[in-house]
Amino acid sequence: MTTLFVAKQYVKNFISKYEVYLKPLFKLILALVTLMIINGKIGYMHRLDNISIVLIASLMCSFMPMNFIVFLAAAFTVLHMYALSLECAAITLVLFLILFLLYFRFSPKDTLVVLLTPLSFMIGIPYVIPLTMGLLGTPASAISVGCGIIVTYLINYIADSAPTLSGMETEDIATRFRFIIDGFLDNRAMVLTIAAFAVTIILVYLIRRLAVDYAWTIAIIAGALADVMILLVGDLMFDTNVSILNLIIGTVFSVLIAKIVEFFAFHVDYSRTEKVQFEDDEYYYYVKAVPKITVAVPSRTVKKINTSRKRPSGSSQSQR
Amino acid sequence: MTRMASYESGKGKKDINILNYFRGDYIGFQVLKSVVAATVSFLAVFAAYVFYNFETLMQDIYKMDLLAFGKSVIILYLCTVGAYGVISYVVYANRYNRAKKSLKTYYNNLKKLAGMYDK
Repeated sequence: MTTLFVAKQYVKNFISKYEVYLKPLFKLILALVTLMIINGKIGYMHRLDNISIVLIASLMCSFMPMNFIVFLAAAFTVLHMYALSLECAAITLVLFLILFLLYFRFSPKDTLVVLLTPLSFMIGIPYVIPLTMGLLGTPASAISVGCGIIVTYLINYIADSAPTLSGMETEDIATRFRFIIDGFLDNRAMVLTIAAFAVTIILVYLIRRLAVDYAWTIAIIAGALADVMILLVGDLMFDTNVSILNLIIGTVFSVLIAKIVEFFAFHVDYSRTEKVQFEDDEYYYYVKAVPKITVAVPSRTVKKINTSRKRPSGSSQSQR
Repeated sequence: MTRMASYESGKGKKDINILNYFRGDYIGFQVLKSVVAATVSFLAVFAAYVFYNFETLMQDIYKMDLLAFGKSVIILYLCTVGAYGVISYVVYANRYNRAKKSLKTYYNNLKKLAGMYDK
């Protein structure tokens, strides 16, 4: 365990030392992965589905603010949709417009979640998002995650129904527009996922703020169980075709990732908990103090011994 | 001292920008921006609604009471913008108060630090 703590300290020191370089690198990788996934999923515009354009765009993102990645991802999505059909582009544009104008005016920090939610869906562990956002965020994060889920389901829906849409070319534009809106709004799985994730985020947030021992671990387990239960019960009620095996495996992985997040964000020693009571003129205080675990990183001192051959006699060692 | 420096270069900058305005001016400006954002969003959703029901609307356009329809749309618009305006008022009033509080703490700490140097 001590090795792990030392490793954690090393990681922390490394990040704080090289933050200037790591931040742009992180943005570059995130932008690259996002744009490549968008191109892989809905790469209808062949001009954009080009690695050199993706690389240039990602490099641009690396020195721009984080929200620029979200803006660029939205622009890529709308352009791909435009190549598929005008109606798809219009619907996607309206959705992004509402998200950017109404919600992200308030919480520009949370825009990253909207990006990470579709990514987590693509790699099959979406359940990690409500757990980590409950641990690190606030209940308001439920709205950001909800927006991310809506964007994910819209992209998936359009990608799945692209062949049908291409076959409807003879129909008029309003019919195709109605077809997309009806199919998108009638998606029970989306509503169920939004509800399950929102409940999980709020539950995890409430439990992890309790003054009980191992609150974060309890919050992670309770949140994961609540999430699985809601999705399974919802599946029974609304027939949303949730794959039970994927759900369980995904949740187990998500719990492991949430534990790693906990290790880095909140690690305390409950065995050394102290409870104290004191008072001042106005209040009586009941304080529970739990010490953080800190480990001193063994520092290496390099002793350089130069043997100078020029000196004719005596000890020729000099230390620096 | 480190915390003060980190505040000054990070959140402090935003707080100073916020406190450059008077409270009423800052909140008023933000609410105005919200009203514009809500109007644009409402227009986008309304356009989508009209397009979705294009055939029905075209068929009934001579039968329906356009005045009543317009009235209900305007009422809906006012409700949306009003609700959004109230939410933004609460959020930005809260933000202004928080910025004022943390900047006050920062200046107090700065005074203490200056006192230490004088000694």
